[in-house]
Amino acid sequence: MTAIKWFLSFLKKYSGLMILGLFLTTIIAALSIVNPYLSGIIVDHVIIAGNYDLLPILVGCLLGVTLVTGVLRFLYQVVFETASQGVLYNMRDKVYRKLLQEDFAFYNKKRTGDLMSRQTGDMDAIRHFVAYVIYAVYQNILLFLFALMMIFTVNTKLALCMLAVLPFTALAAYKQSKEVKPAFRRNRECFSSLNAFVQENVSGNRVVKAFAKEDYEIEKFQKENDKFKSAQINASRVWMKYVPIFEILSYSLTIVLMIYGGYMVVQEQITLGDLVKVNGYLWMLNVPLRMAGWWINDIQNFIASIEKIYATYSEEPHVKTPVCKDNNGNTIPYPRTPIRGDIEFRKVSYRADDEDIVMDINFSVKAGQTVGIIGSTGAGKSTLMNLLCRFYDTTSGEVLVDGKNVKEMDLYNLRDHIGMAMQDVFLFSDTIEGNIAYGRPNCTFEEVKKAAIMADANHFISALPEGYDTIVGERGVGLSGGQKQRISLARALLKNPSILILDDTTSAVDMETESYIQTQLKNIKKDCTVFIIAYRISSIKDADLILVMDNGRIIEHGTHDSLLSRNGYYAHAFRNQYGEIPYDLLEEEKNNAQKGGR
Amino acid sequence: MARNRYDMDEVLEDSFDLNQLKRLAKYISPYKKKMVGIIFLMLSASALTMLIPIFFQRIMDYYIPGKNMKMIVTMGLMTLAVAAYSAVSLGLKIKTMSVIGQNIIHAIRNDIFCHLQELPFSYYDDRPHGKIQVRVVNYVNSISDLLSNGIVNTITDLCNLFFIIICMLYYDVRLTLLCLCGLPLLALVIVFIKKKQRRAWQVQSNKQSNLNAYIAESINGIWVTQSFVREEENTGIFNHLSRNYRQSWMRAVMFNFTMGPSVDMISAITTAFIYILGIRWILAPDTTLTVGVLIAFTAYISRFWAPINTLANFYNSLLTAISYLERIFETIDEPVNVKDAKDATIMPPIEGKVEFKDVSFSYEEGQKILNKINFTAQKGETYAIVGPTGAGKSTIVNLISRFYNVDSGQILIDGVDISKVTIRSLRTQMGVMMQDSFIFAGTIMDNIRYGNLSATDEQVVEAAKTVCAHDFISQMENGYYTEVNERGSRLSAGQRQLISFARALLADPKILILDEATSSIDTETETLLQKGLNRLLEDRTSFIIAHRLSTIKNADCIMYVDKGDILERGNHEELLAKKGEYYHLYMSQFDFLK
Repeated sequence: MTAIKWFLSFLKKYSGLMILGLFLTTIIAALSIVNPYLSGIIVDHVIIAGNYDLLPILVGCLLGVTLVTGVLRFLYQVVFETASQGVLYNMRDKVYRKLLQEDFAFYNKKRTGDLMSRQTGDMDAIRHFVAYVIYAVYQNILLFLFALMMIFTVNTKLALCMLAVLPFTALAAYKQSKEVKPAFRRNRECFSSLNAFVQENVSGNRVVKAFAKEDYEIEKFQKENDKFKSAQINASRVWMKYVPIFEILSYSLTIVLMIYGGYMVVQEQITLGDLVKVNGYLWMLNVPLRMAGWWINDIQNFIASIEKIYATYSEEPHVKTPVCKDNNGNTIPYPRTPIRGDIEFRKVSYRADDEDIVMDINFSVKAGQTVGIIGSTGAGKSTLMNLLCRFYDTTSGEVLVDGKNVKEMDLYNLRDHIGMAMQDVFLFSDTIEGNIAYGRPNCTFEEVKKAAIMADANHFISALPEGYDTIVGERGVGLSGGQKQRISLARALLKNPSILILDDTTSAVDMETESYIQTQLKNIKKDCTVFIIAYRISSIKDADLILVMDNGRIIEHGTHDSLLSRNGYYAHAFRNQYGEIPYDLLEEEKNNAQKGGR
Repeated sequence: MARNRYDMDEVLEDSFDLNQLKRLAKYISPYKKKMVGIIFLMLSASALTMLIPIFFQRIMDYYIPGKNMKMIVTMGLMTLAVAAYSAVSLGLKIKTMSVIGQNIIHAIRNDIFCHLQELPFSYYDDRPHGKIQVRVVNYVNSISDLLSNGIVNTITDLCNLFFIIICMLYYDVRLTLLCLCGLPLLALVIVFIKKKQRRAWQVQSNKQSNLNAYIAESINGIWVTQSFVREEENTGIFNHLSRNYRQSWMRAVMFNFTMGPSVDMISAITTAFIYILGIRWILAPDTTLTVGVLIAFTAYISRFWAPINTLANFYNSLLTAISYLERIFETIDEPVNVKDAKDATIMPPIEGKVEFKDVSFSYEEGQKILNKINFTAQKGETYAIVGPTGAGKSTIVNLISRFYNVDSGQILIDGVDISKVTIRSLRTQMGVMMQDSFIFAGTIMDNIRYGNLSATDEQVVEAAKTVCAHDFISQMENGYYTEVNERGSRLSAGQRQLISFARALLADPKILILDEATSSIDTETETLLQKGLNRLLEDRTSFIIAHRLSTIKNADCIMYVDKGDILERGNHEELLAKKGEYYHLYMSQFDFLK
């Protein structure tokens, strides 16, 4: 029920339009009674009674009424469609905003295609409901009531007789809607799952091809396709069961009119003209009864969809900005404060799904310092950074930025001051310029280019036929790993952050590029706190503090030299990577360089 | 064609309406017999229901004046029989047609999906993925209404119309002709708006596709968005696309909305003429038209226009559907460049000799990526490829799997030209691990098993152990049965690489290709991994692309590639001694020691 309430809150905004639409519908329903009435008069008074003078006026009225009806019919359809598109627009906006707020915990459990269905397929049922079902049902009820009323004016007994069909219709409608509801729920679920499957297949197309698993994918697809098909057929099977019932109920009115109406004419309780008139109204009673099954289907489909959308919408993110209050206790927006970049981790632990990801992390750095983090795959290095950006919240302990717990800071302000180049480079299907300027969409081209130069990306970008205007595919397809990493680095640098996080950003670039990038970083970042996560010792050697992580803990920390002399993990890794350092060759190089210099 | 972006409309090349319908007809034709059956059923039902006004007329003309209650009741009961018949046949129709409609949808969706599996990387690279997905799912859905109700309704309505016209002719020829005069008028209206209406729906389907693409990207790139605090900006873009969608929709439906009132208006005009002329003809001295006939005839007028109204609606949904259909068929028609040759044979079990003979390749004409590359890797050898970014390293290995066709030259495996064998038989014998390790939604077990679907759990675990992934997997809450998804859930990039490594190994490939496969794995793990691999790789040929030189130092041959050429080749020692590009690259990693 909350889902329906939520839906109504959107509809409320368009209540004016809806009322106008329903008003127009009422007029049309009223006008639709006029024409059969006019026809009745034509038959009774003109054709039978021979008052031919009336004909031009009556025909004129007939045409006029149709013209007005036509215009109004066009209008109210537009009115309802406008309201419906408005509701949809606002709902999409709300759902989209909510999606952007959701945290890791939410996304870790959701499939992309599933979330997309909320915004596409499910929304379609809402559109249909607002644009069509509401007025159609209303119109039918109105028609039914109008016609009934008119029949009452002809003869009460006849009208009451016809009313007798209503309880049966209501019963059938109730039963159908109970039966069809689960069918539609299942239908929506199958749609969602089909969508999710196709989405993943498209995204993972490279893996599919590399493993020549097309047949397997097709087989899996067919299962989804079959499931969706049978869900659709099941829903219509319920409907098919009830259609004949509504159909017969609808015809029963005609039969009542024939027998009982005929009887009344014979008994001279009503005239033949009355019978013709009632017969003219009959379709207004017939159609609503016949359509009842349709409406129920549409309404249940709508309910199934709005429930799904609302279920996604109503999931609250755990990570969010705490409410900020002024002295009087009123909620106010957080003040946007600058961040210097002092960072401290105090006894930080993070657990997820019964697994300790990081434990008992303690360290602190001053603004402007560089921290290198090294350690085995899955040791929790990226998690530390995610805790700093508050993609996760600590299970215990505190992460402090400028002495303040990040949980008590404005989330957006915090992230605004952090520039992050993630391990997983995600680029958008946009131009290279657009991708680099992602964090500052309004910056100048010069700034973009400068950031690209610092990331050593300008060179290869300029070599592309369309340069910075080259559109990269989704996730950056078409670019090599190293190129993507450099764009992602430029993107982070352009933000001009107080805290820069480079998570494995140079793993796919060659040594020369890396050392160039490092020199650039040294030059520009005097007051920026930098975190570098890397596997190559060369990337982190000069850091003010190096943290060595294993299994969620910091096992060693210090500077390059102090760690080497400790002869632990770090020293081991160093030897492993550089093996026998060819000192003879290095010496030779040095000599050559000196000679060249002279 | 330039790459497409989320906010660009896709250009449509083929847009001839009749063709789309002909192709649709092909999907429908298997159900012809059933549909004819249903149509007959519906026609018999509607022929019978057409008796009802006749019953009514008889009641009014004969039984009421004759006060014959018995006959009135008989007429009522006959109506009941007709009603029962039509109710049952309607139920049958709904059931049959929804099955047929869903079968057709199922078939179309199947065809587009199967074809997509054959399309090359470039197809996927050239447009946002959301735009491909929308065609398979949403567009195909949009035509389901047309199929499950539209076609049969239309044919029954057409037949109904035919019956009604016959009935009307039976009553009076002149009045009937008068009534038919409305049809050319309607045709005029249709011709007048058709072109605009068609275009409006095309625009609409494009806007829908754009919106879908943006939603997909927004979800997949959510962490970038959040870390760059782009929420407001993105919401703005989203709303812009959403607004475009709304506007295009409104414009398109407006055209549809004009149809109903037009039919009504035309029907009213003809009705008016029938009254006016009808009465004139009744009054004519030598008349054959009776009052009863005229009254009965007026009852038919609305019956005449009702099916025309539904036909007009059908026309609307047809125009709408075509704008989706043309997109669907466009995808199905997308040419497959890399496909089996006509006389392709099965690649025999691969021994492992890989030979490049004068191989040239370019992605786009005029932009040579590889220029007459030659090398031969013997069975069991490890070949490393190094060189600057964009030198064509990945291209070389992608050509071995025939992800692209060479422009000229030959690639031979065991002396067999790979363009002469089936792609499937070639690729199933190779293990390719790309830098982007894609993880499917499902368990870790399923993800590794993807490499070899018939592998037992033990074999999966064994593969995981070889690549040093076993430890971290067993530490997870549900071990190998932990659910992961596309965005990788809690897996780090390195862990994902290990999983896809295990996946590649499980395929038991004769040729192993590692394209930056271990870049996110720490060196300790990598050393362990290599020890495990050495055993495995003894009789397999492998190609390794890596920036970390410790990874490739022990390769049998290292090729330094730049600008589409192999500049240097030899083993580590030989290349160092050469003091060329490789030497330079190697020494640069010690720069930081200076």
